[in-house]
Amino acid sequence: MQIAIASGKGGVGKSTITASLLYLLKDEYSFVAVDADAEAPNLGLLLGVTEWEEEREHIGAKVARINTESCVRCGICYERCPYGCIYIDEEGNYVVNELTCEGCNVCGLVCPVTGTITLEEVRSGVIRKATTKYGFPLISAQLDVGRPESGKLVTEEKEWAAKLMKELNLEHMIVDSAAGIGCQVIASLGGADVAILIAEPTPASLSDVQRAYKVVQHFREPAYLIINKADINPGFTGLEEWAEKEGIPILGRIPYDRAVPESMSMLKPVVEAFPEAKASKAIVEIAEVIKREILG
Amino acid sequence: MQIAVSGGKGGTGKSTVATNLAVALRKIGVKLTLADLDVEAPNDHILLGVELANEEPVNQFMPRFDYSKCTKCRKCAEVCEEHAIVTLKDGTPFLMPTLCSGCRACEIVCPVPGAIQEAFRVIGHTYVTPTPYGFTLVTGKLREGEERSMPLVVAAKRRAEEVREGLLMVDTAAGTGNTVSKAVEGSKLLIAVTEPTPLGIHDTELILQLGKLMKIPTWVVVNRSDLGDVGKVRELAEKYGAEIVAEIPYSENIVKTYVEGKPIVLTDYPEAEIFTGLAERVAEFLGGGE
Repeated sequence: MQIAIASGKGGVGKSTITASLLYLLKDEYSFVAVDADAEAPNLGLLLGVTEWEEEREHIGAKVARINTESCVRCGICYERCPYGCIYIDEEGNYVVNELTCEGCNVCGLVCPVTGTITLEEVRSGVIRKATTKYGFPLISAQLDVGRPESGKLVTEEKEWAAKLMKELNLEHMIVDSAAGIGCQVIASLGGADVAILIAEPTPASLSDVQRAYKVVQHFREPAYLIINKADINPGFTGLEEWAEKEGIPILGRIPYDRAVPESMSMLKPVVEAFPEAKASKAIVEIAEVIKREILG
Repeated sequence: MQIAVSGGKGGTGKSTVATNLAVALRKIGVKLTLADLDVEAPNDHILLGVELANEEPVNQFMPRFDYSKCTKCRKCAEVCEEHAIVTLKDGTPFLMPTLCSGCRACEIVCPVPGAIQEAFRVIGHTYVTPTPYGFTLVTGKLREGEERSMPLVVAAKRRAEEVREGLLMVDTAAGTGNTVSKAVEGSKLLIAVTEPTPLGIHDTELILQLGKLMKIPTWVVVNRSDLGDVGKVRELAEKYGAEIVAEIPYSENIVKTYVEGKPIVLTDYPEAEIFTGLAERVAEFLGGGE
């Protein structure tokens, strides 16, 4: 089974809860974990991974380059770039900003001087594998700064994870997705059997999780909700009302607990670092519900 | 002039800093427009307690094939870097709309006038919202199910340029991909909001790299500064020639005002002074150069 964990909004505790759930599920189930936040991967850190066993470069991002020697400075590329990624430098040369280029090659197609603008393949990042000290494998990725298409990295991560599942005869894939609703999140949710949404009781988190849920609906996946920092905003009932209206079962509520950031500083899942903390107890209960309701 | 608030990791408090800084800057007389370019999860309007207004669709080009004219030469499919155009055995092209980035490469190479017609689809919206704080908020919002945030970032930034008054302040998405660099592009100052946890520090390094690559002076605001080791952030900041300009301790008051959609800088809570102080430093940096 493939389970994707998403939230829309960043910083609501997705990775910390995921790390704890992985820790609690590891003895009874076999799985591969995937950190699908290629722009800010944190799951490896939380699971104490310090070394990667295998690293694959991902070449495939494309960026345009302009040969200043043969460029006639007509400016057509500058006018036609759909995303405004070409600028004129101090010497009057047309230059592509590689940190914003989407690699569509429109500049190359409209350039009247053959061979002046070329589309070049560059490294977009790396994909890595580690066996965590808890025994299960983790696939993670790191997009290079300023590169496009983090979704492609996530797709490749999941392909690698699927291969590992076969090789190691693992039952499940658990995917920790990025913030937002764009290509990375779509790649994370695509192909999942179940989505677990995490939100905190704030209007901003409600708005973002509603947007993430629309993407989940697009894939027709059953969704569940975990409410984190459940007590920080007494009187805010929007999350619960929304979940009820949409028929999204609530797996549990985790109270705000300073043990969580403290465990992060120790680079350990909170359930391992502080098993008696109130947040840990709530996560243990949620893991039981997940075993019963989702993993069976 | 333009400045950017970004931070690498999600949930470090970018929007809290951006909205409070905007209100504080306005309070000390700096004219500005705030642009929320976190198009996948825009929240500045919620934190400012306003309803999005003046909606405009962002239409993205997509090709519509006129099969009576198409010669099935496959050129459109060959140039499509997104592989959004597939062809049948005989060369008949079909579009997979969600993969199309709207770049028009297919239209450019099509040898038959009129075989590719212009069609559009709405991939999101931009908003121009007046706020009760004396500045306008421009927001980009990607439609759910759409994959590409770049066109929305570009459209929202363009609309912000059109309506801007004085300083343009942009609030970016999490991460350090090219949509973040697009949002940051053109800024004279990058304010990176971080957390002193190991995760925050890891992601901070990436945003500092981005600032360095883009050659933009970078300041660091450490949020929840008592939940970790600020010394580590300081080391990192020094490595990249960045400066820590503010430390915001974890505060129930910030959480409280955050959920109420009320900028804390307008309250009597002691935390308000941190933002006022930051605004004064930014104003000094701007030197009246709006």
